[in-house]
Amino acid sequence: MEVKHLNFSYDGAVKAADDVSFSVEQGSYTTIVGHNGSGKSTLAKLISGLLEKESGSITISGLELCEQNIRKIRSLIGIVFQNPDNQFIGSSVSDDIAFGLENHCVPQPEMDGIIAEYAGKVKMLDYLASEPTHLSGGQKQRVAIAGVLAMHPAILIFDEATSMLDPQGKDEIKKVIRGLHQESGLTILSITHDIDEVSASDYVIAMNDGRIALEGTPQEFFRDAERLKRIKLDIPFSLKMEDALAKKGIRFKERCLSTEGLVDALCRYDSNM
Amino acid sequence: MSHVYSDGTPYRYAALTDVNLEISEGKMTAIIGATGSGKSTLVQHLNALLLPNEGTVYILDRTITAGEDPKHLKSLRGSVGLVFQFPEYQLFEETVLKDVAFGPKNFGFSPEECEQKAKAALALTGIDPSYYERSPLELSGGQKRRVAIAGILAMDPSVLVLDEPTAGLDPAGTAEMMKLFHHLNHDLHKTVLIVTHDMEQVYAYCDDVVVMENGKARLHAAAREFFRDGATCTKMGILPPAIIHMKDLLKEKGFTVDDSVSTVEEMAACIAAQVKRRG
Amino acid sequence: MDPRAKIMAMLIMLVAIFFPSGWTGYAVIFCCVAGVILLAKLSFGFIWKAMRPMLFMLLFLLIVNMAVVNTGTVLFSIGTWHIYSDAIFQTLYIAVRLLLMIMITTVLTATTKPLDMTLGIEDLLKPFEKIHVPAHEIAMLISIALRFIPDLIEETQRIMKAQESRGVDLKEGKMKERIMAILSLIVPLFVSAFQRAEDLANAMEARGYAPGEKRTRYKVLKMTGRDWMLLAGASLVLIAMIWLAYGR
Repeated sequence: MEVKHLNFSYDGAVKAADDVSFSVEQGSYTTIVGHNGSGKSTLAKLISGLLEKESGSITISGLELCEQNIRKIRSLIGIVFQNPDNQFIGSSVSDDIAFGLENHCVPQPEMDGIIAEYAGKVKMLDYLASEPTHLSGGQKQRVAIAGVLAMHPAILIFDEATSMLDPQGKDEIKKVIRGLHQESGLTILSITHDIDEVSASDYVIAMNDGRIALEGTPQEFFRDAERLKRIKLDIPFSLKMEDALAKKGIRFKERCLSTEGLVDALCRYDSNM
Repeated sequence: MSHVYSDGTPYRYAALTDVNLEISEGKMTAIIGATGSGKSTLVQHLNALLLPNEGTVYILDRTITAGEDPKHLKSLRGSVGLVFQFPEYQLFEETVLKDVAFGPKNFGFSPEECEQKAKAALALTGIDPSYYERSPLELSGGQKRRVAIAGILAMDPSVLVLDEPTAGLDPAGTAEMMKLFHHLNHDLHKTVLIVTHDMEQVYAYCDDVVVMENGKARLHAAAREFFRDGATCTKMGILPPAIIHMKDLLKEKGFTVDDSVSTVEEMAACIAAQVKRRG
Repeated sequence: MDPRAKIMAMLIMLVAIFFPSGWTGYAVIFCCVAGVILLAKLSFGFIWKAMRPMLFMLLFLLIVNMAVVNTGTVLFSIGTWHIYSDAIFQTLYIAVRLLLMIMITTVLTATTKPLDMTLGIEDLLKPFEKIHVPAHEIAMLISIALRFIPDLIEETQRIMKAQESRGVDLKEGKMKERIMAILSLIVPLFVSAFQRAEDLANAMEARGYAPGEKRTRYKVLKMTGRDWMLLAGASLVLIAMIWLAYGR
């Protein structure tokens, strides 16, 4: 996906996207971060044409988003939104997964097989007849993932998909996303607050006041803790620890993005280095 | 005490069974546990939104016994302020000020007193006076939440109960919110109970911890005790705070970390000395 | 059973009731419907509960009829006020029709899941798409509304509790206070419902939904032998009623 010079403002006043340009490579896991109000939440809607951009271009798999091909673009994108209830359309798990298939005119006889396949991928095969009121937040989000996967999107977008879940649910969904990325090589774009997810991704983009404030691989991204604080971002515990150790004269070659990594580095530390 | 939903129907569900707890006044207590463990049911007994099926609830100067029909519950609701999850959904008045004044109004204060209390509460939660006449529905998510909390603070409760107050907030918003609760507890001497999943918050701010599991109160301990090491947490199925996790890993690798170490700086000082000696 | 057959059978029976087929006719219909109720293993108590709200109205109707109707034989008199037999009969006539209507519609709603009913309605309305009746959209509206009813109920309870925590008393209080109390419930409910609707619309569009465009459907309805028999039976009853009313 290529986004070039994207501009958008709410009511012509607050600029939610100010000359935003970035690209997402095929097969990569890109995370987008930013404080609430930084503009990251409007991106998913702009990319899928749910909000109309003022100017700029969005190209997915070589196809540029315009009014005529919105439906085609939407079939290339699978978005999982934040609220598990407000995107669960069907009255049961199988009905909900079927919704996307119905919209894409998949022949009825093929539907059961497809539903079972994708429900299986998110481990919800035993719940096909379950109603949404009997499912947990994590389970509902898994169904949402199955529903968009079943339409074979080129890119999977997660718009703060774990923000409203409890820790167990968050964990479930992060595992599913990681699994999908590793096993199927799907391109993932995740808009998130979760600092651990960011550390584990391939590329990070930070938004602030509608602009891209910082981007890079996690190693590059977390290099400067002060810059991150200025754009009101949280840094992983291991990096806070690293910075405190640096003040005491202990420095490492590479940024340690996990606590385990940090402890290992401490064990291997040679003060002559 | 116990609480059973839909008793006598096929949907009977025992949310709380034989719970015995003594929560200290003036402290900040965290109530933690998996979804469905009974946390929300428990806290709703504190302002008598729910009544116990068995046992007794002693709150402030009131005694609520199962089977009795308690009168004058309203007064309790003014002294025990309960803030639900995603409280921004309870906003409804024309202006921010009117909404926050709604609580005191229901308790019979004069319009001048209501406005005064509302303004004080809004100042506490950091809402600028320029927002007073705006519609609460125009504000951002974080601002709405602060207005909703102000709405409860305006009743000046001596006990504040918060059900996942930082759910859905970004890290900056979460930090601000926790500082507010700390201020209310530490400086204004309110008893604060927080239902939360965030162990970092509990570790940094709370005095006591109550662990709920399957409708029972599994553990009630001082936070320092609970977080002495990761073992107690993991046994309860809870992820320990990052600093405790690191302590455990370091101890495994032969480092010595004193129990009193509780901040990143203290940890760095402790480790640096040992690492330099080793190298 | 196919909901289309059930809906059509119900409609046919409802039409059948309105032919003036006399007491024989009503007896026939009553026996048929009672038979279906027994087959469906429903309790008559159910029907009685649905009928109860009507009793008051029927009583009122009886009094009106006693005052107005002047035909038939005089049953008894109170001074100059005569009560005629036809007053009783006409009220009874309406009461029986009402009872039959309630029995028939209750059988339908008690034996059919709301979602199946929606599918049936969608299919039955499809031929009317040619005259611009949005059959699919209506069905989608109904099924989404049904899907969210439990959520809305839960939300209402949550809002009630939140406002009670702010001192709202929904049971007592002066008129003005009660109005504020209800407002504190309705406004948040509406706000949340609109937010829900917006989120849902976004999710639906993102998944390729475009009302008016062609789409396939996951659930299919198939008519079986039993369904045809039901339709045949209902049609026979209708024919019998017409014969009893005009043929004799």
